[in-house]
Amino acid sequence: MNNSEWETVVGIEVHAQLNTVSKLFSSAPNSFGDEPNTNISVVCTGQPGTLPVLNKEAVKKAVLWGHAVNAEVALYSKFDRKSYFYPDAPRNFQITQFDKPIVKGGKVTCEIDGKEKTLELDHTHLEDDAGNCRHFSNFGGVDYNRAGVPLIEIVTKPLVGTTPKEVATFASMIRAILQYLDICDCNMEEGSLRMDCNVSVKKKTEKEFRTKVEIKNMNSFSNMQLAIEQEVNRQTKIYMSNPEADPKSLIMQSTYRWDPEAKMIRLMRLKEHADDYRYFPEPDLPPLLLTQEYIDALQQEMPELPFERKKRYMEHIKIAEDITNILINDKKLSDYFERALKVCSNARSLSNWIVVEFLGRFKDSGVNLPDSEIEAENIGRLVNMIDKKIINGKIAKKVADDMVSMSGKDCEEIVSENPDYQPVNDESEIEALVDQVLAQNQQSITDYKNGKEKAFGFLVGQVMKLSRGKASPELVNKLLKKKL
Amino acid sequence: MYQKSAYELHEAFVLGDISAVEICESFLKRIEKLDGKVGAFLQVLSESALEKARELDLKRKHGKPLGKLAGVPVAIKDNIHIKGEPTTCASRMLANYNAHFDATAVRLLKEEDAIIIGKTNLDEFAMGGSTEHSAFLATHNPWNLKCTAGGSSGGSSAAVSARFCPLSLGSDTGGSVRQPAAYCGILGYKPTYGRISRYGLVAFGSSLDQIGIFAQNSKDLALSAEVLGVHCKHDATSADHPKENFANHFRDDFKGLKIGIPYTFLEDLPDESRKSFESSVEILKKSGAEIVEVDLTILKYSIATYYILATAEASTNLARFDGIRYGNRDPHAVTLDEVYDLTREFGFGFEVKRRILLGTYVLSAGHSTSYYKKAQKVRTKIIESFEKAFESCDLITLPTTPTPAFELGSVQDPVSMYLMDLYTTTANLSGLPAVSVPSDVSKGNKPIGIQFIAPSMQDAFLIGCAHAFEKACPVNEQLPEIAKENV
Repeated sequence: MNNSEWETVVGIEVHAQLNTVSKLFSSAPNSFGDEPNTNISVVCTGQPGTLPVLNKEAVKKAVLWGHAVNAEVALYSKFDRKSYFYPDAPRNFQITQFDKPIVKGGKVTCEIDGKEKTLELDHTHLEDDAGNCRHFSNFGGVDYNRAGVPLIEIVTKPLVGTTPKEVATFASMIRAILQYLDICDCNMEEGSLRMDCNVSVKKKTEKEFRTKVEIKNMNSFSNMQLAIEQEVNRQTKIYMSNPEADPKSLIMQSTYRWDPEAKMIRLMRLKEHADDYRYFPEPDLPPLLLTQEYIDALQQEMPELPFERKKRYMEHIKIAEDITNILINDKKLSDYFERALKVCSNARSLSNWIVVEFLGRFKDSGVNLPDSEIEAENIGRLVNMIDKKIINGKIAKKVADDMVSMSGKDCEEIVSENPDYQPVNDESEIEALVDQVLAQNQQSITDYKNGKEKAFGFLVGQVMKLSRGKASPELVNKLLKKKL
Repeated sequence: MYQKSAYELHEAFVLGDISAVEICESFLKRIEKLDGKVGAFLQVLSESALEKARELDLKRKHGKPLGKLAGVPVAIKDNIHIKGEPTTCASRMLANYNAHFDATAVRLLKEEDAIIIGKTNLDEFAMGGSTEHSAFLATHNPWNLKCTAGGSSGGSSAAVSARFCPLSLGSDTGGSVRQPAAYCGILGYKPTYGRISRYGLVAFGSSLDQIGIFAQNSKDLALSAEVLGVHCKHDATSADHPKENFANHFRDDFKGLKIGIPYTFLEDLPDESRKSFESSVEILKKSGAEIVEVDLTILKYSIATYYILATAEASTNLARFDGIRYGNRDPHAVTLDEVYDLTREFGFGFEVKRRILLGTYVLSAGHSTSYYKKAQKVRTKIIESFEKAFESCDLITLPTTPTPAFELGSVQDPVSMYLMDLYTTTANLSGLPAVSVPSDVSKGNKPIGIQFIAPSMQDAFLIGCAHAFEKACPVNEQLPEIAKENV
């Protein structure tokens, strides 16, 4: 199949729940996972006679997002009613921002396969979330705990000629920014971050886009990549096997959802008619007018963002790029590293210990290292012990094993309580071992004297082995060199 | 006693001339004996009213501070919430709905020790001008029981007119306080938009709705407007206006004031109403006013504009009545679509359905530009025209209604009914404060009202002008026969 004349077009729509104390238009708590219909008020259940009052904290968080993506924060924005009947909508209309959003434009920049790429944003607007419908065997119920939770909807411009991997990378950068701003919990399983993609393909020579298909419910970035791949393949195959047909008759406007069990996209519904939401300005809310002073003042409250932190890691504390990327993409892990960094100055070694050694030890446990019993500072102290030559790397790995198995026990205690971890720093004791090794390895001595550097390493290894790993490698080196 | 006005009752109570229980019982007895003929009330809150009255008597006995409305019975239109009491909006949809909270206006009345005496009849969801669209009953005009008391706040208006209470609250979206006040020979005041909180008022046309007050005289209006006109944090459109002493703005005459009249807008006024209006203008002149003509030709589009915007907003405001969370769900419904269809089919009356359909139509794709958006533009023009008009005058005057009260059942055509709002919708579209004051009684013994409109937020000035008119033309002192009946 010759795909080279086709290209992929994807737009992303992100719904991010803002982690405010209360809901967007009422004082009911904004909290996930509680008993159904406990976090509700007369406003968010749509009782007659109630009125929405805008939550200032949500406005502030939307503005912070705008700053983070270098967008224009609107001095004038407004809210609109979007009408549709469904039981999860307590007023049977949503309050959203139709044509005057709070944030206009913006850019998200990512490094993809060594190249810097930019995703253009169309706009970001504020709106309230709906409740959840629950279906039981013989009846349906609605939980309004989520109804009225503040959302920002981030709408990107279409990425033309993109790849599923690129889309997923941008999407994960959007999540990273939301996490660094601490404006969203970004839990894709619980739905506090929901990403939809609009996917279409077209011939590279065509100017117009072809019919797009919406994919919902992708609960991870790897699934997002798989879902887009499947949809692109499906569309391309259909177009290629029907080259004569009118493209509009081949792909219908429709919505698919990702089925996480089957790892497949499944058709949810065809959009046969264009929905008419009858948007009009929300009369209960005056236009949202922000002052330039307010917007500028929030610029001062901006936390460090992922690309800024990345720059600091790579340029100032000289962490390897692959390690940096792993840290940066996981704000929690990166913050964990930052905590360890407060007690340990060897950033490069520390980053290795956290990302390679400790992350590896938790890989199959399902436990997230920052949520584990091991305090970040504990790892910092472990690296300090290596740097101070209290233990060597080999023992340190055993101490790390013990830290995991002993529920985060302090590394210094582990070392002091275990005689096997006491380093041998007595020169005469090591000298005896060196002599023993030299006596048993005449051939290596000859090789070394003939210029074979490898032979030296072998001899060091033999001494270490005899010391059961406790000898200081520097001391062994020094003594061996002297004797040879 | 029942002919006393609110401030007179309050004074008598505070001075110890009369007890709150005596006041309360006296009005409750009148309602019990006479409301069968009028139909002002949907619900009489005898028990809670008497309980409040007893509490007030104790308060007074113990020398505790008494609120500004202590001892004053007040009736509330049944689209305004009183916590724990039914709010039916005169609709089958909400026949069993109990309010979860006090409307801000009700809370303020309670805080000032008013006695809430009952819930009054209205056109269903405040849609109509005669209370004939109430799902439960029609309210009769105390001056002429064959006639309408007006609408939509006909119950509240008739209650004050028949002296079932000295004060009542209504809501005014297109004239629903001023028109029934004019028909019933009392004062009806619609504040500047945002002046009285809408929190707890069941919305009809949110950008037009205001809670308004019915009273027998300007002093009572001033007293209650002062209590209700405060900022409310539950209503984002509530004006953050400092408290005012309304009585300080009372004036004895119109000396030094320029009053604007948009004569071209009054060309179609029927003869009797025209003559009456002209004689009122003479009274204003005698009282010192300088009359100037103002250009408000744009107001000829006000009815069309109003019925597009009000119905558009209403179509979404009433979408929440779906039988899912509250209200009457049709028991025959099985599927979700049936829940919606049957509940709304049975729950809403004909006029409400008509307006929901109209509103849905003017907002729908392909029509929104020619109706909703165009109406918004006209509304902006209307606001600008008023601003311009107020550059050359201090106050604008208009008749309140084209004719006095009509007979119940006599107006069948909806457009003729809508045209009754011709002179009142203008103040809602512009958000301006307006008051209807009794100005005359027709040959058929029907009250006629004159309307005053003031610049934005000049509510105290407006009521001060109503006071001056009352002095120059004290028709408000005339009573209908039923109000003379001592029970």
